[in-house]
Amino acid sequence: MPLSSYSTQFERHANALTAAERAPRSVQFARFLDSGFPSRDEEHWHYTDLTALSDRSFEPEGQTAEALPQPLLDDADALVYLNGRLLSERGAADWHSDAAELPPPSRGVDALNAAFATGGLRLRLSQGERLTRPLQVVLISRSDAQPTMSHQRHVIELGDQAEATVLLDFVGDGGERLATHFFELRLGRGARLNLYRIQNEAAGGTLVARIDAKLSRDAKLNAVTVDLGAGLARHDLDINLAEAGAEADVAGLYAAQAGAHIDNLVRVVHSAAHCRSRMNVRGLVDERTKAIFNGKVLVQPGAQKTDSEQRIANLLLSRKAEVNAKPDLEIYADDVKCAHGATVGQLDQVALSYLRSRGIPKDVARGLLLRAFAIEILDRFDWPALRARVEANLHLPSELTTDFEP
Amino acid sequence: MLEINNLHARVDDKEILKGLNLAIRPGEVHAIMGPNGAGKSTLSNVIAGREGYDVTSGEILFENQDLLALEPETRACEGIFLGFQYPVEIPGVSNMTLLKAAMNARRKHRGQDEIPPGDFLAWVRDRAKLVKIDPKMLSRGVNEGFSGGEKKRNEILQMLILEPRLMILDETDSGLDIDALKVVSDGINALRSPERSTVLVTHYQRLLDYVQPDFVHVLARGRIVKSGGPELAKELEEKGYGWLEAA
Ligand SMILES: Nc1ncnc2c1ncn2[C@@H]1O[C@H](COP(=O)(O)OP(=O)(O)OP(=O)(O)O)[C@@H](O)[C@H]1O
Ligand SMILES: [Mg+2]
Repeated sequence: MPLSSYSTQFERHANALTAAERAPRSVQFARFLDSGFPSRDEEHWHYTDLTALSDRSFEPEGQTAEALPQPLLDDADALVYLNGRLLSERGAADWHSDAAELPPPSRGVDALNAAFATGGLRLRLSQGERLTRPLQVVLISRSDAQPTMSHQRHVIELGDQAEATVLLDFVGDGGERLATHFFELRLGRGARLNLYRIQNEAAGGTLVARIDAKLSRDAKLNAVTVDLGAGLARHDLDINLAEAGAEADVAGLYAAQAGAHIDNLVRVVHSAAHCRSRMNVRGLVDERTKAIFNGKVLVQPGAQKTDSEQRIANLLLSRKAEVNAKPDLEIYADDVKCAHGATVGQLDQVALSYLRSRGIPKDVARGLLLRAFAIEILDRFDWPALRARVEANLHLPSELTTDFEP
Repeated sequence: MLEINNLHARVDDKEILKGLNLAIRPGEVHAIMGPNGAGKSTLSNVIAGREGYDVTSGEILFENQDLLALEPETRACEGIFLGFQYPVEIPGVSNMTLLKAAMNARRKHRGQDEIPPGDFLAWVRDRAKLVKIDPKMLSRGVNEGFSGGEKKRNEILQMLILEPRLMILDETDSGLDIDALKVVSDGINALRSPERSTVLVTHYQRLLDYVQPDFVHVLARGRIVKSGGPELAKELEEKGYGWLEAA
């Protein structure tokens, strides 16, 4: 029977809970059984089919090695989660919570996540509070002997005028595994969040992550997202500009490795007047990778003076690569400024041949051009150590380190 | 240095070069003139190894090795430099990045270590002075936002930095004002030496007043139809190409 392994796991999981804890979990799990994993028929899932997971069997508490896949960034506080459990922390103990805050009864992966979810990041800043150092949240999904799954729910709540920089650092390695993460973001008036989401799932991993953000008056969300790796990743970023003056700036880069399947859905809802949103996305899509990027801007009635722009550009690096990029716009207000566009192009052969004519080997020249294409997003990093790490992971030639003083 | 024998080349199934012969010895300066569409840029590009050209027969020997067998980057490392008629803009790749990558590729080709950053900067600064380019401009993308004249000067700057053995300049003098023409000519002359050869593709006598050629050739209908000394350029300036076409 499909999903039977999940039922077995859930029974075991629920038995360890009190009756009061169990009730809402059971509701969520029943909803999950009812809807199952999303197939391509489902809205917003046209390019990614998770139904193959139905017959799989994952262990929620799998034993695995505890080593970090890469060193922590020096200049940040850190929380490190391994398969949903806090493994270590550095200067950030206050920002972890064992308890998960459950959503109203949901369906599909949301419900599966809610049924099993442990806690995770709970960053709550009061009015005017500022994090002095960035917070790196490492989310490791790993399996050694048996397939593992982990499900977490996280919260970031910034009070009025509060400020923080947070890195959601998704990594996965080992054998077959499934990880789901849901994030509630609430930004108070004038609050500012710089959010980095870096995804580097190796082959064998399935990652489903959703970030729900709600912005109050004059709040600002700067999001930089990067998809690397070779796993299957589905990422939703849902931004609600709920009050006037709220602003969301999303910069995205995907440059996955062979075998990867990367599905991004970024939705921005302009619920109030005088809000601004930007989406600037670049994709490098190479052989045997599949990249999907859907951007959507919805302008609600009354959201006058909306200022929004979506730009998606892709470089197709092989005939065997596949990319689906679509910006979408739905407008119910008449006094708005909305622009959107998507392109799929190829490497500039004239530029390539110019560089080669100067003696630069073809692969280096190609790397320089790829870097030039991605630079607009890389330049959005306001965190040099993280940028350097991402560039190294992109396997692009490093930036010239000697230059004349500007 | 360079020997071209019976070269035939096509672009898109159209034969452009039809049995071209040319020999260049070390230290010589050759000017190639000829009507629009004659194949001058095609010849330059085929020597540099640019893609899109199909050599159907003939050979090119550079220092006695089969040039056509080499990748374009290897030709550059061996000392061939082509100043393009239409230099391309490459936003996102700075001039400095290009120069450093090009210099280090050449050094690697010769089995040398990478150039120390301080030496590199000093060398670029020194050369930039010769062509009156503000080094600050070099932090910009390759030719990005450069005027037509600046692009041509930038080609000369690259050449001065890379110090090739064979310089081919495809209409580097076109579109330059008098001062810029002087700067470009000085750059070319700065590199002239008994070991270095130069090919100037040009439509105008005025460049040849600054850079004295040893030979002048007329390329028409895919071949060299006439060769002579500097006086041939003057004759062409007066009479045009008609008398040669008729011949
Ligand atoms: N990439 C190309 N595709 C199609 N035709 C080409 C291409 N490059 C050159 N040609 C054709 O080949 C012929 C020779 O062109 P080439 O650029 O070599 O002439 P040229 O002598 O340099 O002319 P000019 O003095 O105008 O620069 C022309 O008829 C041109 O249209
Ligand atoms: Mg030409």
